[in-house]
Amino acid sequence: MKAGPSRTNRPDNTAFTQQRLPAWQPILSAGIVIPGFTLIGLAFIGVGVALFVTSQKITDLEVRGKRDTHAVLFFFQGPVFFYYGLTSYYQNFRTYGVSKDGYQLSGDTYYFNVRAWYSCAPYQYDSNNNPIVPCGSIANSMFSDTFQLYQVVNGMKKQVPLDGKGIAWWTDYNIKYSNPALVNGSFANAFSGTVKPVNWSKPVYELDPTDQANNGFLNQNFLVWMRQAALPKFQKLYGRIAEGDYAQGLPAGNYTLLINYSYPVISFGGTKKVVLSNVSWMGGKNQFLGIAYLVIGSLCIVMAMVMLIIYAKYKFTDDDEDM
Amino acid sequence: KQQVRSYKYSPLTFLPLNLYEQFQRAANFFFLLIVVMQVCGSVSCSNLTAQTHFMCTTVCLCVCVCVCRGAVFVVCVSVCVVTVCMRVCVCADLLLLCSTEPHSLCFIETFRKQIIKLLPLLFPPTLSLSLPLLVSISCSFFSSAGVVWCEEPNGQLYSFQGKLHWKGQCHLLDSEHMLLRGTILRNTDTAYGLAIYTGSDTKILRNCGRLKVKKTQVERFLNKIVLSLLMVALLLAVGSGLFEHLISPRIEVLSGISANFPAAYRGFLTFWGYIILLSPAMPMSLYITFELIHIVHCLLIGWDLEMYWGKRNSPAQARATSLNEELGQVGHLLSDKTGTLTQNHLLFRQCCVAGHIYGIWNRFSCGGLLFSDQRLTNCLRERRCPESREFFTALALCHTVMSEWKDGLPRYQAASPDEEALVSAARELGWVFLSRTRDSLTLSELGFTHCYRLLALLDFTSKRRRMSVLVRNPEGELKLYCKGADIVILERLRKDSPHQESTEQALEVFAQRCLRTLCVAGRSVSEAQWTEWSHALSQAAMATTYRETLLEELYEHMEKDLMMLGVTAIEDRLQEGVPETICSLRRAGVKVWVLTGDKTETAVNVGYACKLMDPDTCLLQGEELRIRLHFSMCLQTELIKTPEAGARFVSLSNQCQSVLCCRVTPGQKAEVVQLVRKYSSSITMAIGDGANDVNMIKTAHIGVGLCGVEGSQAVQNADFALAQFSFLRRLLLVHGRWSYRRICSFLHYFLYKTTSFALVHIWYSLYNGFSAQPMYESWFIALYTIMYTSLPVKCLGFFEQDMSSESSLRWPEVYLAGQRHELLNPLSLGVALLYSIYTSIILFFLPMGVFQDSDLDYQTLAITVQTSAVFSVTVEIILQTKFWTKYNFAAVAFCLALYFLSTVILHSPRLFLAFPKDYIFFGTCVISLIDTEKA
Repeated sequence: MKAGPSRTNRPDNTAFTQQRLPAWQPILSAGIVIPGFTLIGLAFIGVGVALFVTSQKITDLEVRGKRDTHAVLFFFQGPVFFYYGLTSYYQNFRTYGVSKDGYQLSGDTYYFNVRAWYSCAPYQYDSNNNPIVPCGSIANSMFSDTFQLYQVVNGMKKQVPLDGKGIAWWTDYNIKYSNPALVNGSFANAFSGTVKPVNWSKPVYELDPTDQANNGFLNQNFLVWMRQAALPKFQKLYGRIAEGDYAQGLPAGNYTLLINYSYPVISFGGTKKVVLSNVSWMGGKNQFLGIAYLVIGSLCIVMAMVMLIIYAKYKFTDDDEDM
Repeated sequence: KQQVRSYKYSPLTFLPLNLYEQFQRAANFFFLLIVVMQVCGSVSCSNLTAQTHFMCTTVCLCVCVCVCRGAVFVVCVSVCVVTVCMRVCVCADLLLLCSTEPHSLCFIETFRKQIIKLLPLLFPPTLSLSLPLLVSISCSFFSSAGVVWCEEPNGQLYSFQGKLHWKGQCHLLDSEHMLLRGTILRNTDTAYGLAIYTGSDTKILRNCGRLKVKKTQVERFLNKIVLSLLMVALLLAVGSGLFEHLISPRIEVLSGISANFPAAYRGFLTFWGYIILLSPAMPMSLYITFELIHIVHCLLIGWDLEMYWGKRNSPAQARATSLNEELGQVGHLLSDKTGTLTQNHLLFRQCCVAGHIYGIWNRFSCGGLLFSDQRLTNCLRERRCPESREFFTALALCHTVMSEWKDGLPRYQAASPDEEALVSAARELGWVFLSRTRDSLTLSELGFTHCYRLLALLDFTSKRRRMSVLVRNPEGELKLYCKGADIVILERLRKDSPHQESTEQALEVFAQRCLRTLCVAGRSVSEAQWTEWSHALSQAAMATTYRETLLEELYEHMEKDLMMLGVTAIEDRLQEGVPETICSLRRAGVKVWVLTGDKTETAVNVGYACKLMDPDTCLLQGEELRIRLHFSMCLQTELIKTPEAGARFVSLSNQCQSVLCCRVTPGQKAEVVQLVRKYSSSITMAIGDGANDVNMIKTAHIGVGLCGVEGSQAVQNADFALAQFSFLRRLLLVHGRWSYRRICSFLHYFLYKTTSFALVHIWYSLYNGFSAQPMYESWFIALYTIMYTSLPVKCLGFFEQDMSSESSLRWPEVYLAGQRHELLNPLSLGVALLYSIYTSIILFFLPMGVFQDSDLDYQTLAITVQTSAVFSVTVEIILQTKFWTKYNFAAVAFCLALYFLSTVILHSPRLFLAFPKDYIFFGTCVISLIDTEKA
């Protein structure tokens, strides 16, 4: 209205402004949907069968309770993994999960004594106000049972070596966690002025005195524990059986498991178990995934059948008009 | 010494005031709460810095919009007498004292910038002050010598009552003496005014009132969702309290952390934690995207070439940005007739003088020729018939037209096109209106110039429906000329007025031809009568109470015993495409009501002409209306005054093909709209072009203004502005329908994607002791709605077309879905919610089955679930989109790529080493992603 006579308000004549953009308009007709469903269903069933069969092939052995001699009836294909499992253990509780100090765990001694934030409370200082390293609830509650596995050969116990290395994430022990530098050539000196977590029996620098690469914050059992479990019922890797006579697997026979029982679970109604298992391309033994794929795949097929029947019964010749 | 604040906000008050206004909306308050809690460390369970920043910017955005709307004007320092120069916006409500123009006339441009309305005869209050004198008057002079009494500041723009006591005299003041703030001075060099109301007391600011937030159905539903989220959070908090109370004391590792606090307090904290976790179900981006889609739809309306009217160079305009989806649900269209259905390009077609009809009726005429009739010309030339001379003198005198000389010819500027047509017709036949001053009119009658003294102007109101002038002609006689609607004139005629019967016949003939008629009458007034009457008038003008009524009575007293001079018939042609438009709107199920001030016969004929009624429809009128239910009807509005009659009337009208309301005043138009709004659930749309339709336009859900001849007042008050009535068809059937569909699918999908994503937390809480542990990485929560899934749904809202514009126009019946609210109703939204709950269950429990009793950790679970969430909502949008433009393809591909890319980047060791606390998930994405696809 204020426009001069020279200015025109005529809109641009482009496909965009006139909403005439070229477009692909798929119509979900019976000819596409029924074969589509069938194909998807077949694919799912295929994947499901593969997963299920693979999972079936995985051998696992669960040890509950306190019986300590077990018979392995057939050759246990290696490498065999040794897990411990806990139930009703809320490692995914939010305040529990944040109860650690990432700076401390990356080896920064400055944070041994300084409160980076309060998330470690109440496992920040002991009663004498000495800083706890590693601080926080997760570290404090580290699983403390130890296991030793023996094969009983002719009444003699032959130890099966459990390799506690190579069980944590590569990123964890290479980047995320690191030990503080040695002080005066001694690793323990780096932790001087700090105390061990309340529940621990030995300080962090003595977790694996035999191997400095597996000691301190880089101890792989520690790393495995520090990685929060997803659900209250979980397993954690304890070691691999991949050395010596047992590199190819566990031969059939009798085995004895020696458990140094120190971790309390009875108080909260939890249970402990030990699992020996080998793995496949899809990970550990897991039948659920295969079954889920099979169920969804067969549902697709059933839906396709139902639609086919409906389609055969009432042939909608003008279904594109209905859109 | 005294400064008046003339703007709404000051730097100090801006923030608190504006925030107060913003938080009138529940959702805004909710968002503030979320932001505060994110910052508050003890509750916050994720680092949503990105989201916080985002929210801050959007709040700023809202603030800016508010500033533009909230009328920020320049500061003006109050001195009592304010000088206003040409083309300057008046900065306070002023009492106009005088101007530099002759007779102190003053022209202003009224509110909202567009129309140039000349305030007729804006006298200074008869103060004969010379300019220099006035300028020299200081405020102190005024305060000592003169007193202005005025009413309390109020928001009524068009009324003002006050008195000026000055030099012992009392002058009455009304709105004609006021220069209101916001108006602009035009064609007047300088005007001087006394500041009456300043700052926030000015009428325009008072009139602005509170911004009414219109609560749409959608908004109410969203509020319910917010409420139910709070309830869910509360339930989870109770769960948390119970867990803390019953289970965690037994678990040493957990009870150690929370030993210092009672379980109830932990539950309380968890409540806020869950509010944060569940808030993404109702993200602020929903509101922002919703607004954005509306704005794009409005732009598309403006860009439509098919709604561009080349003759006036005016494209369609969407002035309100929140009504697009309602365009697709209109159930009642209430239309003005004059200027809306018709062109309002008036042609003086016929007239009836002294019982004779002049002018040839030719129904095939295309409107090119002017009125011509040899008989009338002869009659005038030969000065045979005194009535015909009187008739044209009356036409040339009785009006409020202003003349402007250009190239030696008078150009007329009239408030209404009728007046212009009549004065022009008189000019063509020899009675040329030359000029007007405050108290005289100059005519050229067949070449002889005469000057008439204007004694009184009894102005036109929609209630009186007539106007008169009292003049002293050159011979010294006093004459009253009156012009008005036929019924009001006919009942004021002298008993023995000649030609009455033939005139009434002529009126009927004109009505049948869809011509608009006006009666012209006159009388002589004796000197004695005039003296008495003028005395009474000046007394009445002094009255402070009931002035209007007194004046009306006086006018009534003068306008009686009239002599019929003649009848004018003006043709107003239908606009192009009106019958087709009405026809297809009716097929689309829209009930078309026409409201007109015309007489019944004219209205009915126009109704037939524009296909509003089929020739074989049955007309229900008056008494019949009460008893019969038939197809088409015509009503006297008096019938629908009582409420129960109103309900019955609307239900009756729903069974009618169409409704014509005749002889309605502007106020009644709005009442009819109100009636329809009240008694039917459908969306009403009112369309009109003139100032008399403003009421109606503002009352209806959607107001459409036509940029017509009668100024742009209707457009200024309307939500949509069109150039032609026929564009309405495209606006409703194409744009309205598309908008409705797009917005419905947008809302469904958006709710689906946000709730299915957020509700996973509920299921996870069952397995983490109700501890408000987030299911996803915090970065993912922050970026999910605004980056990973935002573009495809925007494309859906912008481009989706279920059928082309041509097909929508060809089959108007598809519009019915909108009227029945088929796509967006509580049921459909409920189904969408159930669907999203189902999805969230799948999203959580399938991975849970896999992760249960395995050595896979929490972070892997989080990545798995979030990847499945992105996949399943992307699959859903792929299924929802029916119209795949290149932008849709690009958006889907871009968002998926963005998800993977940003996940890789966010998990990179480099970021972790720089900010170990913010990027705790690093390294996780290399773990194989188990994809749980849903059927």
